[in-house]
Amino acid sequence: MALRRDDWLDVARKVDWTYRYVDEREVFPESMSGTPWFPQQAWKEWNEVYRTTYREYVRNQRAKDDAVMGARSALSKIGIFEQLDSGWMQLVKFHQGTFALAEYAAVVAEQRMARFGRDSAWRTMATLGALDETRHGQIPLLLGHDMLPFDGNFDWTHKAYHTNEWVMIAARHLFDDMFLAASAVDLAVQLNFVFETGFTNIQFMAMAAMADGASHHLFEKALASIQTDEARHGQIGHPVLRTLIENGAKEHAQYLVDKMWWRSWRLFLALTGSPTDYLVPLSARRRSFKEFMQEWVIEQFTKNIAEFSLSRPWFWDLFVEELEYAHHSFQLGLYSYRTTLWFDVAMPDEQERRWLSEKYPSWNDTYAPIWDKLERRWQHQGEGSTLEYALPAVCNLCQLPTLFLRPGKNTACTREVGGRKYLFCSEPCRWIFDQEFSRFAGHTSVIDRIMAGVTPGNLPDLHEWMGLKAPTETGKDLRRGLDRWRLEPVPKI
Amino acid sequence: MPPVIHLFGFVSDDFLGRVLVTPSDQTIGRLAEQLVSWGWNPEALDRYRVTNEAGAVLDPALTIAQAGLSSGDLFTVHRG
Repeated sequence: MALRRDDWLDVARKVDWTYRYVDEREVFPESMSGTPWFPQQAWKEWNEVYRTTYREYVRNQRAKDDAVMGARSALSKIGIFEQLDSGWMQLVKFHQGTFALAEYAAVVAEQRMARFGRDSAWRTMATLGALDETRHGQIPLLLGHDMLPFDGNFDWTHKAYHTNEWVMIAARHLFDDMFLAASAVDLAVQLNFVFETGFTNIQFMAMAAMADGASHHLFEKALASIQTDEARHGQIGHPVLRTLIENGAKEHAQYLVDKMWWRSWRLFLALTGSPTDYLVPLSARRRSFKEFMQEWVIEQFTKNIAEFSLSRPWFWDLFVEELEYAHHSFQLGLYSYRTTLWFDVAMPDEQERRWLSEKYPSWNDTYAPIWDKLERRWQHQGEGSTLEYALPAVCNLCQLPTLFLRPGKNTACTREVGGRKYLFCSEPCRWIFDQEFSRFAGHTSVIDRIMAGVTPGNLPDLHEWMGLKAPTETGKDLRRGLDRWRLEPVPKI
Repeated sequence: MPPVIHLFGFVSDDFLGRVLVTPSDQTIGRLAEQLVSWGWNPEALDRYRVTNEAGAVLDPALTIAQAGLSSGDLFTVHRG
């Protein structure tokens, strides 16, 4: 008689045994498995809500891949890329560069849990998670490759993490911290609980909805397909968090949640906030970034932390306040330093400005005058007058320029330790740095490197250092392009 | 020669902090003018005050060193 699924699944999931020849601490060293270290008994009740067998996994993944590949094959015949909005193309280029190889880093993270996770069911889930993340790296690499004939900068899908481009240094700093240099316990809370159940909804679900509006159905299918995987392996975080709290490690759990909430917020406002409100064609904007955050991220996160009697992060008020303005300041930074990016950046047109004013009541007073001025400068003095020439002050934790100020509020702060001064864009970034000083103190920001003479300070050499070929490969104003003289050969004496 | 230092300058109606490399005998007033001239609104800086990170107002006539600023410090220029 064949066993029913539920009769054998637990036998396959729960295969932990008592070690006779080695100590449990040797099999699961604290540095890799996580702090605090509990004996296996404490992890015995580790259970995922939605259980999957390997057979089910393979069947589901095959169907998902078929759907994406089917769409790719059907849509490639009808010249899909030529019909896409130019702003949308830039958004896709930005997204591909920052996410494709981050997904490969997530493979390492899942594999670490697959080896050092403290319960066999957790390790099984993480094994499937590693397969998921491999797929999440391969899909954007494939789609990015398909887009190369239309725009050579899609090679940044693969190249971005191998460069010193400043956005990528910031992204790498975060993913090294969150994915690559974390124990299994920390990964489950940081990656699965905060990043995946908290934030990736906005990157994959909200963006899939906008892709539909922008008629980029292949991208929509790919994003939605990725998010269903995230939703499954994201559930690893809940039982790990529960075990931590039940065993007296609530303070550590709260720290990991707070830290990674802030770090994820910084990354997402840059990678998702600015593109959502400035690159998505107006007709495809389903909601503003703030509305997406409120609906897809805050609501879900508030529910999740309530389940574990955790508190909202201590910087919650600043976070809510920043929803109104941080990514708008960041957009101005992207625009002013666009020659250091691999994608084009938009100056909002009249209709978009009206939309932004409706969605963000203070936008008109704070940001419209700056864009007006930039527009007038372009008209009267050309492209060069809209670029920023001073070096930006860069945060020593998030590695982003300190763009998060607005009239009357400057959140930047410093810390002096061991004779070195560090700059931070905000109090939460400084707080994270203080908590794990030895982990972060040795890193030098782009600006630290320029000041030390390690990295070139002049723009042409800096472009080369960042892996950018100017002016053909560097970012432009989306609608205005370059002043014509920029493409003329430099005269030789 | 006075030492050349770098400071992080912020203007209250701007969106970005900038790096200024300057000799330490530069006055606070001159430093403020230099920073504002780089910003999106470089027109006349009629009335302003400069504060350090702790919020203390710095006398524009003092040099950077006299005002207690050293390499890696931040300051804010408030208009009006």
